[in-house]
Amino acid sequence: MTKFVTDGDVSVMYQMLHHLRTTPGVDGWKLAAFALRINEGRMPHPTQSFVRNGLLSVIDAAAYAAIGPHLEPVDLPKGTVLIEAGEPFMHAHFFNSGIGSIVVSTPDSQRVEAGIFGREGLSGFGSLLGVDQCPQTTMVQVEGEGYRVSIEALRSACQQSDSLRETLLRYVHVFITQTSYTSLSNVSQSVEGRLARWLLMCHDRVTCDDIALTHEFLSIMLAVQRPSVTTALHMIEGYGFIKTRRSNITIVDRDALIDFADGMYGTPEAEYRRLIGPFA
Amino acid sequence: MSRFYFHQQIANGIIEDPDGTEAVDLTAARHEAILAARQLLANAILAGVAPLGTAFQITDEGGQVLLEVPFREALPPQFTKSD
Repeated sequence: MTKFVTDGDVSVMYQMLHHLRTTPGVDGWKLAAFALRINEGRMPHPTQSFVRNGLLSVIDAAAYAAIGPHLEPVDLPKGTVLIEAGEPFMHAHFFNSGIGSIVVSTPDSQRVEAGIFGREGLSGFGSLLGVDQCPQTTMVQVEGEGYRVSIEALRSACQQSDSLRETLLRYVHVFITQTSYTSLSNVSQSVEGRLARWLLMCHDRVTCDDIALTHEFLSIMLAVQRPSVTTALHMIEGYGFIKTRRSNITIVDRDALIDFADGMYGTPEAEYRRLIGPFA
Repeated sequence: MSRFYFHQQIANGIIEDPDGTEAVDLTAARHEAILAARQLLANAILAGVAPLGTAFQITDEGGQVLLEVPFREALPPQFTKSD
């Protein structure tokens, strides 16, 4: 069979496929037949021009050729555990949208968030450092979609392409910078300041100014009592930087929020731009 | 388990608790409120400002006030003597 399918066609088909997968009541056979038609036209992996993940879109063509064929499109529903603490790494996930969070817990289940990532990053990057598991849990906090790749395929792609490995390792540096600033923020800032910083980091990774977050969720992320979150939101809203409705926060004045975060926001993001490429 | 709401009394009104929290009973909810008040007072003291709130009103899902917890009750006894 002769194939006259362009990269653009494949992109459109992937968009349609994604739309179908997220549409309730779609017939499974039709979906399978549709997926098969994509397979007949081209290899089933996404083309580089289609991916929105920041790492996958900045790597050179040879690097993409090493990893691209191993990417499987996946939905990332809220609450999905991507890396279980103390369990062997199975897959890394490159996000196109949504937010993942790396969380650590005390033995009595007090949790705190160590770091977040979205379409600029990936889960399971410990595997790039030559380890097989970690004590942190990685989960989806804001639903999205992306690509998963088996750890074996990721490792072998990194062996094939130095530039892929170097880009991903630079991302690990950026992530460590983020956790360093989280630690600095935790000891030096008020709850309002920490919340402002966190809202900015979240805002970078969503596509609109409205963010669906409960106070309970924010209290876990910041490891404070829930009323401290409610009070801090009340104060930040009083300054006019945000608007809150039940379980929803709207960013009204981002620049003012950055000033309010008092230097605790921006350095990891600048490192990403300096070392990798466009951020958010 | 029941859902309890911790509305906070401030000088010129109330900061509403939109979500509430699950607790076994009112005693457990009061304990949570004391922990929360301690943190709010500590945050204000660390920041060198007056705390915004003065008490929690614990309500049920219907908005019925079940208990009022003044923040004073979260302080160590030597700071609550009224001499």
